[in-house]
Amino acid sequence: MRHIGFFFRFFIRFSLRNMKKHLGRALTVLLGIALGAAVFTSVRLSIHAALDSFTQSMDVIAGSADRVLVQPGGRVPEEWVSKLLKFSAVREVSPVLTTYVRLAGKQSEPFLLIGIDPLMDRGFHKWQILQHANQDGKSWLELIQKPSSLIIGKSLAEKYALGRGDHVFIESTRQTDEFNIVGILSPGGLAAAEGGMIGLTDIATFQEFTRLYGWVDRIDIKFEPNAESKDIDKFRKMLPDNLRLGPPSAAKESGQGLIRSYQLNLSILSFASLFVGMFLVYSLVALNAASRRRELAILRAVGASPYLLFMVFLAEGALFGVLGWLTALPISTILVKYLLKGVSRTISLLFVKVHVETLSLSPWEILLSFAVTVFTSSVSALQPAWEAMQVPPNEALEISRHGRMRKTSVRKLLIVGVGCLVLVVPLSLLPKILNMPLPGYLAILLLFTGFSLLAPWGLQRTGHALSPILHRFAGIPAYLAGRYVRDSGTRTAVSVGALITAVALFASLVIMIHSFRSTVELWADQTVSGDVFVAAKMGQINQFRYPISPAVVMGLKEFKNRADLVPSRRFYLRYNRFPYEFELLYLKNFFLHGDFVWLKGNPDRVRTLLTQGKGVVISEVFSNRTGLTVGDIFRARIQSSRVSLPVLGIIRDYRTQGGVVFYSLSQFNTRYHDVQWSGCRIFIKDRTHDHEAAVMSVKNDIVKRWGDKLDIVSGNDLRKTILKVFDETFAITTVLLLIALGIAALGIATTLTVLVLERTKQLNTLYAVGAGFGQIRSMILWEAAFMAVVGEVAGVLCGFILSYILVYVINRQSFGWTFLYAVDWRALAMSLPLIILAALAAAYPAVKMVFRESPATLLREN
Amino acid sequence: METEKEHRTKSVIHARHLTRIYKMGDSEVVGIDDVNLDIAPGELVVLKGDSGSGKSTLLSLIAGLDRPTHGHLTVADHDLTDTTSSGLTYFRRAVVGMVFQSFNLMPTLSVLENACLPGLLAGNPPDRIKSKAMELLDWLGLSARMNHLPAQLSGGEMQRTAIARALINDPEIILADEPTGNLDSRNGRIVVELFAQLNHKWNRTVMIATHSNIADSAATVTVCLKDGKIDGQPCDI
Repeated sequence: MRHIGFFFRFFIRFSLRNMKKHLGRALTVLLGIALGAAVFTSVRLSIHAALDSFTQSMDVIAGSADRVLVQPGGRVPEEWVSKLLKFSAVREVSPVLTTYVRLAGKQSEPFLLIGIDPLMDRGFHKWQILQHANQDGKSWLELIQKPSSLIIGKSLAEKYALGRGDHVFIESTRQTDEFNIVGILSPGGLAAAEGGMIGLTDIATFQEFTRLYGWVDRIDIKFEPNAESKDIDKFRKMLPDNLRLGPPSAAKESGQGLIRSYQLNLSILSFASLFVGMFLVYSLVALNAASRRRELAILRAVGASPYLLFMVFLAEGALFGVLGWLTALPISTILVKYLLKGVSRTISLLFVKVHVETLSLSPWEILLSFAVTVFTSSVSALQPAWEAMQVPPNEALEISRHGRMRKTSVRKLLIVGVGCLVLVVPLSLLPKILNMPLPGYLAILLLFTGFSLLAPWGLQRTGHALSPILHRFAGIPAYLAGRYVRDSGTRTAVSVGALITAVALFASLVIMIHSFRSTVELWADQTVSGDVFVAAKMGQINQFRYPISPAVVMGLKEFKNRADLVPSRRFYLRYNRFPYEFELLYLKNFFLHGDFVWLKGNPDRVRTLLTQGKGVVISEVFSNRTGLTVGDIFRARIQSSRVSLPVLGIIRDYRTQGGVVFYSLSQFNTRYHDVQWSGCRIFIKDRTHDHEAAVMSVKNDIVKRWGDKLDIVSGNDLRKTILKVFDETFAITTVLLLIALGIAALGIATTLTVLVLERTKQLNTLYAVGAGFGQIRSMILWEAAFMAVVGEVAGVLCGFILSYILVYVINRQSFGWTFLYAVDWRALAMSLPLIILAALAAAYPAVKMVFRESPATLLREN
Repeated sequence: METEKEHRTKSVIHARHLTRIYKMGDSEVVGIDDVNLDIAPGELVVLKGDSGSGKSTLLSLIAGLDRPTHGHLTVADHDLTDTTSSGLTYFRRAVVGMVFQSFNLMPTLSVLENACLPGLLAGNPPDRIKSKAMELLDWLGLSARMNHLPAQLSGGEMQRTAIARALINDPEIILADEPTGNLDSRNGRIVVELFAQLNHKWNRTVMIATHSNIADSAATVTVCLKDGKIDGQPCDI
């Protein structure tokens, strides 16, 4: 205890007073760390809130069932409700129907309508109605007693100013009906589902509204408490082939998996800001250790142990972490508001629908961000702390070594750096661990570390090679700057390392996003081809579970003279636990106008076989997730049919909610069972005349006839929407990237300022021997330019390697897809000079620092 | 009687009522106070005085590193009282050469490069500067050390490199601030001998600020400073 007390007193006197003396530097580093910590904390909290909201929503919708009975790609006949109750192992059952609907007459946000039997469901879902003074507390009975009764969630009620007794018109895929609101759900239980944007109705009302007489989406089952697993297995075996008994949490788990992958990737990206901030801490602690070397020697001479000095500098790093994290809190509160909105929108657009109303402050997330910040700051201080403990006491007597830090061998750093880089490739080739691309992330860390360790060597070689040339063309300031960076060792290299990291992230993300976007564009043009797309109203949000009515299909067929029709049917299924879409397409017409983006398999051969129904093509995501590849057999249960077909080819596909398997619609109808259309693409036959006008004419005709029954969109608009969603998805990434670049600029500003302060005597000497103010300032700018150019060149090189890892390792292991590698030379050519300019601008505070002390102080050193 | 103008013409250093006051927070510290000084060309002046007597302040004013608060200063026909910043830069490059106690060599430049530095800063042709620096280093006995970095030199060698640097632009005046302060007595004597040679053989005006007696024998003029003023009494350090 006495030792700890002494250590704190010593730390306050030795370190804190020194920090107070150089408050500007300390505050800059603190700002850098705080920004990094704020970004990391905000990203984690935002995604955690989305994950929490999703999980809570899924949990309350799933209820307390032990198992659910479903039909893959279809619905369960309602008669199974009574059949199930006859099994001795089954204690309770509850039929459930769900669909997304919206208020009619306005472009309102869809909300989830749940149909239950209020009596049978009481043991499964918790929900209550807000009680009013004039109510008898039994208004839930009204759901059964009064037809078209509806109870709604609080958010829905508040959003559209609805209350008990109000009448609303609600439209579903099939029709629009009037409902009578009999109550508002009180908080807790089902009220928390979908952020309160729900409606609850009796199952009979639901069936009447959706025309699903005699069908339910699922039946929730509770077994007898004494039922053993063998009883449940026995029960499972008695079920018909087309029905599946599954866990209630399957949808939750796959949704959580997608959000967690997104969380991991965004966390890693946000950690980059913290990683760049590490360089700032290293820079300042190393400066303190170097500039106070004589003090350290004196301390050692009067009895301080090397361990004490080590701990003091380590504590400096840790203190920056703690204070940086605390400073990050107010920044996080601002940042999290933006991120929460962006993150939940992105998750909703890409993966699963989430409603995040409030931020849940997870103690675990807060502890994690604190621990990561303090740990990274402390790690940054390790090397300077180690240097400090190596100072021998006899240095106190050596005047000539005063203030001189022992230089780290550039060669040693080069060897370690190359060693790190050599490990990058084998690590990238390793499979993921714990369902996460951990070896890939480790490879990225080693890539950054390797390039950062190469920075001193890069500066040395660049200074050596360029300073004579620059001397000739840019004069003595450029020459002196080159010579300085050549010999400055690790000090200058630290901020170059930070810049390398930030530029590498920038370049790699520019390349990755461009590759991704151009591949998605190609995919959208070829695979999402079509002049007009029609689907059952709200088909997409309801996973195309409501086919287009036969009457409308008949009407659409009348367009055959003017257009080629490509009808389709989509089933949302699971392969083991992996969600995917089984899509049936009328391939004969599809291949007339569009194509897949082929990855494996001979396209000409596969097209023929596919059209003949002799196999399926699977998406890259499906292949990577399930392990199926060309030649393997794809097996699935689709409604009443059991499908077993060879995989003919692998294609690129970028739908975000899992994989996709394509098969011929006409062959499916012939070989298995007749399925209805869930959508149809329309290609105008005559493509020679005014094509746009022809498209508009067809679209307008369809809108006029079935505008109330179909969602209709032109192909161009659909493809534009896909790219808009894509661009919105990467908006957050861009913000995080800019923050990382900003921290790197802070790094350059700090390093150059520190270097100027450290070299006050040298700069004054230059002045004394005839250098003008302009020449010295020009020299500082040239130093910044050297650092910026070396940082940028190495950063771009590192970025190219990183982009390969991101495209072919991280994306493949996280999301299952890769892209066609394409470099956005234009964006790089336009932005990289801007980064150099930003780095030069960061030199401004350093330039201002020159001659803060009068050159005459040179003569007053005694 | 000589007029003020004749004084100025004859003197390489001409100071009248020269005063330098430093602001230290709310208080003021007088560096030098009402100093009048005339140094003829070709003298070896030893500027003596205790610590804080104003030697370095006077030297920094003469070197063009600082400006007087009051008074008038002319050095080698350059009026340093009113000169612009660029005028002072030219003055430091062409008129004076500085030698410091701690040598102040650029650690990242070799001996030869350090010696060349003022010539290059002045924009002189590199080849000419290089050959001149080599001549100087040869004269100073540093031919074998030309490509060494300062950290690889002894104190005496570092100070001789600094002298080469001070001479590269052929300045009229060499100013040295405690040039032997960080040297042992043998090296100190060698350095003083070099200044004496510069004065006798090369006819340069040399001004050495020191608190020791090591340069006394070489001095042609001794100026004593006490509390920022020139002391008329014999120097008693």
